[in-house]
Amino acid sequence: MKNSFVELHARERAIVLLDKGSNRELIDPYDNMISPHLMPQGIVPESDDGIIIEKGTLEGKKLVIISIEGNFQGGGIGEVSGAKIVAALEHVLEDNKNGIEEYPIIILDTGGVRLQEANYGLLSISEIQNQIVALKKYVPVIGLVPGRVGSFGGMSITNAIMSYIIGTNRARIGLNGPEVIEQEAGVREFDSSDKDLIWNTLGTTQRQATGLIDEVIDDDIDSFKKAILSAINEKKDSHKTERTDFYLSLLDSLDPSEKLNISSYQKIFDNVKEQEHHLPQAVASDKKHTKSRGRQWFEQLTGIKNADSDVSTVLHAKKDGFEYIAIVPDENNPFPRVRHGEVGLLEGYTVASVVNDLINSEKNTPKEEKTPIIMVVDVPSQAYGYNEELIGIHMALAASANAYAKARQAGHKLIAFVPGDAVSGGFLAHGLQSNRLIALDDLDITVQAMSKASAARITQRTIAELEEATKHVPAMAYDIENYQKLGALYTLIKGVKGYDSDEASISKVRAAIDAALADDDDETLKFRYTNKIAKESGRKATNQIRKMMDEQWDK
Amino acid sequence: MEKLNFKFKGTEQVKNKAHVGVVASGDLEVIIKPTTNSESTLNIVTGSDGFKEVWQSVLKRFFDRYPLIADFEINDFGATPGVVNLRLTQAMEALEDEK
Repeated sequence: MKNSFVELHARERAIVLLDKGSNRELIDPYDNMISPHLMPQGIVPESDDGIIIEKGTLEGKKLVIISIEGNFQGGGIGEVSGAKIVAALEHVLEDNKNGIEEYPIIILDTGGVRLQEANYGLLSISEIQNQIVALKKYVPVIGLVPGRVGSFGGMSITNAIMSYIIGTNRARIGLNGPEVIEQEAGVREFDSSDKDLIWNTLGTTQRQATGLIDEVIDDDIDSFKKAILSAINEKKDSHKTERTDFYLSLLDSLDPSEKLNISSYQKIFDNVKEQEHHLPQAVASDKKHTKSRGRQWFEQLTGIKNADSDVSTVLHAKKDGFEYIAIVPDENNPFPRVRHGEVGLLEGYTVASVVNDLINSEKNTPKEEKTPIIMVVDVPSQAYGYNEELIGIHMALAASANAYAKARQAGHKLIAFVPGDAVSGGFLAHGLQSNRLIALDDLDITVQAMSKASAARITQRTIAELEEATKHVPAMAYDIENYQKLGALYTLIKGVKGYDSDEASISKVRAAIDAALADDDDETLKFRYTNKIAKESGRKATNQIRKMMDEQWDK
Repeated sequence: MEKLNFKFKGTEQVKNKAHVGVVASGDLEVIIKPTTNSESTLNIVTGSDGFKEVWQSVLKRFFDRYPLIADFEINDFGATPGVVNLRLTQAMEALEDEK
């Protein structure tokens, strides 16, 4: 195809959208800011770490194009690549605040988190999402999904948060790749060798019919330019993450045990009767519930015994001036893929609804009096299921990440307390938008982007090889002590384990939360890369990228 | 993964810089930068181990034909000798375009 946009590499994609000669690349290949984490794992780096940032104009309008190279490590986001995106978006926000109209365009061609730098990937992606939520108030944040890799993993959550998404029929969008679902839930759940099934489910035709992508255009450079210009001129924003009532109503109307197909889902989608949803606070009961660290600590911190909620997997309660929110397992959950504490469709949208209710009820409350939110984090993963992908679980997780970011930016202090697992999309949806992470020093806690079985399969290693590789690389660690070396934690509470229930342990946790709140004086996520551990070792490359971006931005 | 280093003598000092290619499967990126040294230095990171001699002969053929003096950074993800030669030539053409 002569003017194909899809066939181009990331740099060419960025350049062809801009007026001839107007482009300037920031932190370019000559700066050679490669990832410091790849070569130690025997992987060849790229001089731009797969992210191309070009400033320029399109018909005179100022654009900042962030283009992800899908051919390098599957477009995965690691520390350097993530920091480049965050730093660029931060400058775009700053410019717009200062009256310089500048439009961010993100070209997505990505599998999400780069598994070889999984922990950095998750941190960076939550930071990218935070910037997008802030930017949307000024200008539309436009995402392009031209196709080849498409938009997957944590970056599919990111694209759902953006204002407006344009793609071609050569793209796919989904949270979990079919291979990962097959690995986690079995071939009967999703057959990753069935190409037709994959395209029909995750392809943009289906995504457009059910509101997961805003516009599908021809694979042609001029079509992209035209679509971008009209999105800018008309300030297009489809507010995809604000559709919680629609999706909660949709979920009410379906039988979760029945496997959907394209046409049965379309019928449900077209007949949704949208109703308002407000989740009441959890109440004490004498019912037996599925045990988990998240539930136990929610009950210990709120004093609500056997907490019972209208949505069995989401608990929230206001106690001592704090809003506590936990996602918990329910072994009898009608959603078969959400029985072990995973974050599924209902969980993402319900948490979003709870947080939005809080934001709205305190809209006119002065900042210093807004209720702090304490997330109790024990999420083993997002839900891996066919129905989940078909309905668009990435958008459900985006809804809650977006709501948390909005709350923090509105002035609610946001603390995540981690007594259990903090994994992947689940952690992005519930935990990573906090700017003070507190964890128990308990080696039973797993922090990661993917289970070992899936990560081994995707990176084509054995589990033994993967374990050997991760033991010495905090970037890929699965345990909380290595995670601390990144600087991501505000407090690592010593001497308290996930299932401890004694008074001393509970007061220790309370004290840690109080201390974090007392010190929480900003509405950004910068703590995690500006603290001592982060600066000296954990996020060195992040800080270097940030410095270079500052120096090069207005040159 | 293997790191390789080569030096080649040349006669033509490069004045511009150039970058071509992507570290995609079967492909590579080549960065050329001016140098104050009197010979070319090549730092290569390759995903395919054990091909030092092949690199030596591909590079020798290139420098015999184009005796450039510059610093080269190459990140290779399993490109064939033909692709390597193609990218080196493209990088050289990109240098010309810069003039």
